[in-house]
Amino acid sequence: MLFHSQEFILLFLPFAVGIYYALARHQSAREWWLIAASLIFYGWWDIRFLPLLIGQTLTTWLIVELAIRRDWRWPLYVAIVANLSVLGLFKYIDFGASILEQVTGREFAKASLILPIGISFYTFELISYLVDRLRGTAPRYGIRVFGLFIALFPHLIAGPIMRHNEIIPQFAYDPLRTGLYERIGRGLVLFLIGFVEKFFIADQLAIIADPIFAEATQTVPAFSLAGAGALAFALQIFFDFVAYSDMAMGIGLMFGLMLPMNFNVPYRAVSLRDFWRRWHITLSRWLRDYIYIPLGGSREGVGVYVWATLVTMGLCGLWHGAGWTFVLWGLGHGLGLLVCRLWQHYGSPLPAIAAWAITTTFVVLLFVLFRAPDLGTAGHMFAGLAGEGGLGTLWPLATLLPVLIAGTIALIKVPTFEWAMRIQPSWPAAIGFVVLAVICVLEVGEGAPLSFIYFQF
Amino acid sequence: MRGWRHFVWAIVCGFAGVIVLLSVFIVSMNPYGNLPRILFSEHVIDDTNQRFQYPALIRSQRYDSIVIGASDSRLLHPRALERVFGGRFANLAMNAGLAYEQYRLASLFIREVKDRRTLLVGLDHVWCDEDAGEKRITFRGFPEWMYDDDWRNDLRYMLNAKSVEISGRRFGQALGLRKARFPDGYEVFTPAESAYDPVKVRGKLWDKGGPNSADPVVPAYAANAEERARWQYPALPWLDEIATRFVGRVVFVYVPAHIAAQPPPGSKKAARREECKARIGAIARRHAAPLIDFDIHSEITANDANWWDRLHFRLPIAERVVDDIERALATGKDDPKGDWRYLEGPRTGAVSSTAE
Repeated sequence: MLFHSQEFILLFLPFAVGIYYALARHQSAREWWLIAASLIFYGWWDIRFLPLLIGQTLTTWLIVELAIRRDWRWPLYVAIVANLSVLGLFKYIDFGASILEQVTGREFAKASLILPIGISFYTFELISYLVDRLRGTAPRYGIRVFGLFIALFPHLIAGPIMRHNEIIPQFAYDPLRTGLYERIGRGLVLFLIGFVEKFFIADQLAIIADPIFAEATQTVPAFSLAGAGALAFALQIFFDFVAYSDMAMGIGLMFGLMLPMNFNVPYRAVSLRDFWRRWHITLSRWLRDYIYIPLGGSREGVGVYVWATLVTMGLCGLWHGAGWTFVLWGLGHGLGLLVCRLWQHYGSPLPAIAAWAITTTFVVLLFVLFRAPDLGTAGHMFAGLAGEGGLGTLWPLATLLPVLIAGTIALIKVPTFEWAMRIQPSWPAAIGFVVLAVICVLEVGEGAPLSFIYFQF
Repeated sequence: MRGWRHFVWAIVCGFAGVIVLLSVFIVSMNPYGNLPRILFSEHVIDDTNQRFQYPALIRSQRYDSIVIGASDSRLLHPRALERVFGGRFANLAMNAGLAYEQYRLASLFIREVKDRRTLLVGLDHVWCDEDAGEKRITFRGFPEWMYDDDWRNDLRYMLNAKSVEISGRRFGQALGLRKARFPDGYEVFTPAESAYDPVKVRGKLWDKGGPNSADPVVPAYAANAEERARWQYPALPWLDEIATRFVGRVVFVYVPAHIAAQPPPGSKKAARREECKARIGAIARRHAAPLIDFDIHSEITANDANWWDRLHFRLPIAERVVDDIERALATGKDDPKGDWRYLEGPRTGAVSSTAE
C-alpha cells in the first residue's frame, strides 16, 4: 500500500493512529499494535514477503541474545554474514550469475527471485545493530522494541535508514506528552507536503523523462531531448525520494516519533562532498560509519583513502541495484569525490556559482546511468548529450514549465521539515490544508498511483 | 485559531467532512449507473469517455439491441438500425475500441439484459491484430471494475474528481439545468457536412501512404495452408464466445475503411486479413450468423468524396451502409455493384438466430 493511495490515507492511517492513541497509556500494547499495523502494511504488498522480514529480524535478535548470554562474539559475525547472504540471494544472485556467464562463457540458470520490498533498507539496519554490538555501543533490546525498530512501517520500505539508538529510546516516550497536537499537526502538514511533492511534481516529471529514456533504448536522442530527459529525471528522483521521506517523517510525528532527516536541499551543493552530506543523508552516514571509516577513511594515507572511497561508493551503487549502471554510477561518484578532494587540497577555490554549476552538472549527468535500464541506453543518452543526435528542437512548454518549476523549487526551498516546524496554526493554514488534501485524494483516485522509485531498491 | 489542538481537529474534521459529503454525493448521483439506484430510476449518458458510460446504458435496460465496434461504427444510427432489425438500439461503439474492450462490453450486455434481441458487431482490423491479446486497452483506461457483477468493489474506484464532475452533471440534469447527451450512445462526431473540404480530406487520405498505397502488389503474396495455419488471431476466441453466449440475432459487419487504410491487394497483410475474415466466416457459420464485408475495394471505399479520413465515412455513407445491410440480409447475396460481399449467413434472405 502506497502512502499516497486512498486506502492508506482514508483507512489504514486513521485506523493505525486511532488505535495507537487508544492504547497510548499502555506501552506494551501500543508497541505490539504498531508492530501488527506495520506487518499488515508490509504484507499488503505481498504476503509472501512477511516470513523473510519476520525471520531475518527474529533470527538476528536470537543470535544477539545467544552472543550476550554466552559472551561470544562469533555469532554476531555469523549474523552479519547471514543477513548479507539473504540480501545477496534475493538481490544479487542473478547479477552474479550473469557476470559469471560473461567471464566463463557458460550459461547459468537464473533464480529469478522476487525482490522483497525494502530488503536493502531493513537489512542495513539489522547489520548496523550487529556491528554496534561488536563495537560495544549497542544495548540489549527486548524482542518487542527491536522488532518495532525494524518493522516500523513509516520507514520500513524506503528508509530513512535509522540507527537503533535514535528511535528505540523514543518508543518509551509517552505519546500523550506535552505537544501532542503540535506533533500531530506538523506531521499532517509534512505528510501533505510529501504528497504534493510526489503527485504534482515527481510524477509529472516522470511523464517527461520516461518516454525519452524509452526512446534512448533504441536510438540516440537529440541534444535537447537528452538534456530534458536527464534534467527531468534528476529532479524527479529528488522529489520522489524527498516526498517519501517527508511523508515518512510526517507519519512518524503523528505517532510522536521523530525520524531522521534524509535531505537537506542537495541541489544547492557546491561540491560533491557537500552533495553527499545533503543527499540521502541516512544512507551516506551508514556508508561512512560501517564501510568507509572501517576501511581506513581519509586518515591512513592517500592509497587507503582512494581505496576506501572507491569501494564505499561502488558498494553504494550496488546497494541501489544489481546492475553495471548502478555500479558505474557509484564509482563515478567515487571518482568525483576524489577529484573534489584533490581540488580542495591543491586547487584555488572556485567562485560559488561555478562550483555549484560543476557539481550539479556532474550529478545530473551521472543520474543518466542511474535511470538507464542498461549501459547501451546510457550510452545513447550520453551520445545525445554530446550532440551526436543533432541539436533537436526547443523544449515545448509541457517540458519547459515542469522542469523550470521543479528546478526552482529544488533550489530555493528550505528543507521541508524545517518549513513544517515553522508553520503556526491558523484558519487560513487549516482551510488551505483541507482544500489541498481533498484535491490530492481525489486526484490520486483517478488511477493507480505511481510507486516511489526507491521502492525498487 | 487557539493553538494546535484546534488546528488538528479543524483539519481532521474538515477533511473527513468533505470526503464524506463528496462520497455521499457520488453514491447518490450514481454517476456510472453501476450502484443500486437510490435517486434516479434511469441513467443517461453524460460523459465523453464511452468506456465509463456504456455500462450504465446497458444497465438501464432501455435497449435490447446494441452495436459494438470502434469509431468507424459509431455513425450507424440506432433509429435506422431499428427500422432494419426492430427492437430498441443503442450504438455502443467506442472511439479506438480494441477487441478486448468490445468483448467485455458485449459480455456485460449478455449478462445484464435478459430480453436481448440483436447484436451488431462492427468489425475492423482490431479483431485481426496479432497483438490483440496483449494490447487490450488504450491510454483512455478501461474500468474493469465496472464490467463485473459486483457493485461493492466499484466503490473503491469512485472517489475521484471525474466522478464528482459527472455527478455534478447528473445533478444538473435532475434540476433541469442540463440536457442529457447521447441518450442512446449515438453521436455525430464528424464535422458538419457543410464544412466538408475535398482538398483537405484528400490530403488526409493519401498523404501518409503516398498516391499508390492502394495499388496491388505484384506478384501477390502466396501463403500456403501451413503458413496460414500458423497465423494467430488472439481476439477471435472472444468473438466466438460472444456469438455462442448471445441468445438473439448476431450480425457481423466488416465496416468500410477507405482503400488507403486497407492492406494493398496482394500484400502479405492483405493475405493475413483475408485469412482472418475466413476464420470469422467460420465463426459466423457455426452460429448461423450473417457476415457482410464492406472492407473491400468498392465505390464506397474508393471514392474519396465519401470520407472524412481513412476510417471515418460521411453521414450519407452511414445511411447507405445501413440500407446495404438491409439489402444484403434480404438477398443473402453479394452486391451486384460490388459494395459488399455476403460472406456468410442464410442465402434465402432470412436472418437466423443463434442459441445458447
